[in-house]
Amino acid sequence: MPIEIPKDKWPGSIKKVTLGATSAEGGTRAKSVTVGGETTLPYLHFEAPTPNKPVIAIEIKSHRPDDWSPLLGEVWGDAMNDPAQWAKKAEEAGADIIVLALTLADSPEDAVRIVKSVLAATGLPLIVWGPGQAEKDNDLLVPIAEATKGEKLMLGICEDKNYRTIVATAMANGHVIQARTPMDVNLAKQLNILITDMGLPADRIMMDPTTGALGYGIEYGYSVMERLRLAALQGDSMTQLPMIVTPGFEAWKAKESKVGDGVPEAWGDWKFRAIHWETLTAVALVESGADIIVLRHPESVKRVKETIEELIAV
Amino acid sequence: MYIIGENIHIISEKVKEALTNRDREFFMDLAVRQVEAGAKAVDINLGPRKKDWAEVFPWIVETVETVVDVPLSIDTTNVDGMEAALKTIKKNQAILNSTSAEPERLEKIPALAKKYNAKVIALTMGTSGIPVEADARVNIAVETLIPHMMEIGFNMSDLIIDPLVLTTSGCQQYCPHLIETVRMLQYAWDPAPQISVGLSNVSNAVPNENRPLINRVYLSMLMGVGLQMMIANPFDKEQNDVIKWIESKDMSTPLARIYNKIAERTANSEEPQIEDFDLKDPDQSAIWKTTQILLNKVIYADAYLNN
Repeated sequence: MPIEIPKDKWPGSIKKVTLGATSAEGGTRAKSVTVGGETTLPYLHFEAPTPNKPVIAIEIKSHRPDDWSPLLGEVWGDAMNDPAQWAKKAEEAGADIIVLALTLADSPEDAVRIVKSVLAATGLPLIVWGPGQAEKDNDLLVPIAEATKGEKLMLGICEDKNYRTIVATAMANGHVIQARTPMDVNLAKQLNILITDMGLPADRIMMDPTTGALGYGIEYGYSVMERLRLAALQGDSMTQLPMIVTPGFEAWKAKESKVGDGVPEAWGDWKFRAIHWETLTAVALVESGADIIVLRHPESVKRVKETIEELIAV
Repeated sequence: MYIIGENIHIISEKVKEALTNRDREFFMDLAVRQVEAGAKAVDINLGPRKKDWAEVFPWIVETVETVVDVPLSIDTTNVDGMEAALKTIKKNQAILNSTSAEPERLEKIPALAKKYNAKVIALTMGTSGIPVEADARVNIAVETLIPHMMEIGFNMSDLIIDPLVLTTSGCQQYCPHLIETVRMLQYAWDPAPQISVGLSNVSNAVPNENRPLINRVYLSMLMGVGLQMMIANPFDKEQNDVIKWIESKDMSTPLARIYNKIAERTANSEEPQIEDFDLKDPDQSAIWKTTQILLNKVIYADAYLNN
């Protein structure tokens, strides 16, 4: 018996957001990366193709982190001491985008210098995160935004308590914004409204819905992503933004990946488990519609990229 | 519309302070003004008063009954406090607010209401919380609340079912279901049970400036499906206008027409349509956006009116 597959046609679609500007576009990137543009739910090829495949960003830090898992220290080695070297290795590992996370120890001058060194070391588009304290974020991100005018960085992380200064400098200097809310559709939409009300066009905002890791609330995370995407497709303009997610950060916080000692023997090989933790967290989010996936371990990058290729293959 | 005035509520700082000072004048004034504003009954919610219930409940009843001649709704979880209030009430048939389908409350509170010939508000909520779906809430009424009332020989015309309004800020998916619950409950039993809702719950956790608009748009939908009783703020003049317009089918102004249209659409199981509204009029545009939030068509955000 022939079966007709029902197809949805949605009134709404996701905006396209481009990161990075080439020399022709006023920056110095070897290429730019565009994400978003979806017109249906993820990977329903029979309804519509995936217009821009999800991309992988690798997270590096301005200083060698002392709270990261030793497994990450082992794989990145001495490159972790030099953000430019680290960025280069991340590009070699398959990153489409570099995320540079600054620390509280960085002065504005250091931060600008480090950002420039990373831009010089790689041609990939760059995302820069402040250390996560409102005042310090503003102190660092404003001079960076000015010093890299036209590069179309993504600046983060805007939250409801601190977005005005970062949005203003992104508007003035042609950058994109990462808008984070804590796993809540209402708050996600609210922040998008507040940011666009300031005058930043919606195609220069990405939502960071916060996700949790495998075993640590990821089902809340992907439920929120699903609701946001459904609302967007139904035509709610203030949810029609592509999403950036941080499974690397989330998964490597989990005890299962972070530590190898003092855990039950039944947990098995540490490295095997840790990489699976990051990969599975990431893949669940890819399947929920994530557009930029920020990872930490090169092996996870490889596996998630393979999965994405399989998902978009018709 | 039978409004049970909600303003004597311990959540208000002024009420809290007046209670601490046993300020009779404050409560007398608040009760009188609510009745003058149209309240047909006065709700009294001073919390459970675990330590001083034996003194507080008779005191507030005596204070309020000194000046108003309407039923009092005793709104507390403290069963001893309810009884102390019931013993003191002299003027009108009281309302106990509330029982639910949770066994312990259902065991005690309707029996108490029966003993003192009071009405009782029964929430469509069981031990496993508040169901989203309209059917499930109606089932709690039909399978648990009403049979229990019949079993104890409760006068069914004294039963008021409250299907539980939840806020559009965070529980948005419940809002359209509540409308359907109110519609269906009227057919759940013969004679139809009385239905009451706590209207302002629909805007809990919403910034204050947006609350009255959300309340009155929701009210127009609920009146469309036949709501005739609610716990609400009788001082809300624009809400009272909406009640008047819908009850008298007053179409003399654009806003009166719009609220009547929303009620009519909801009555006919239709959704308000964008062409019902003149979106160039900022008031109508805001009402349209509010209908979309309340029907869970558009995700709520505090700044939804700017969307």
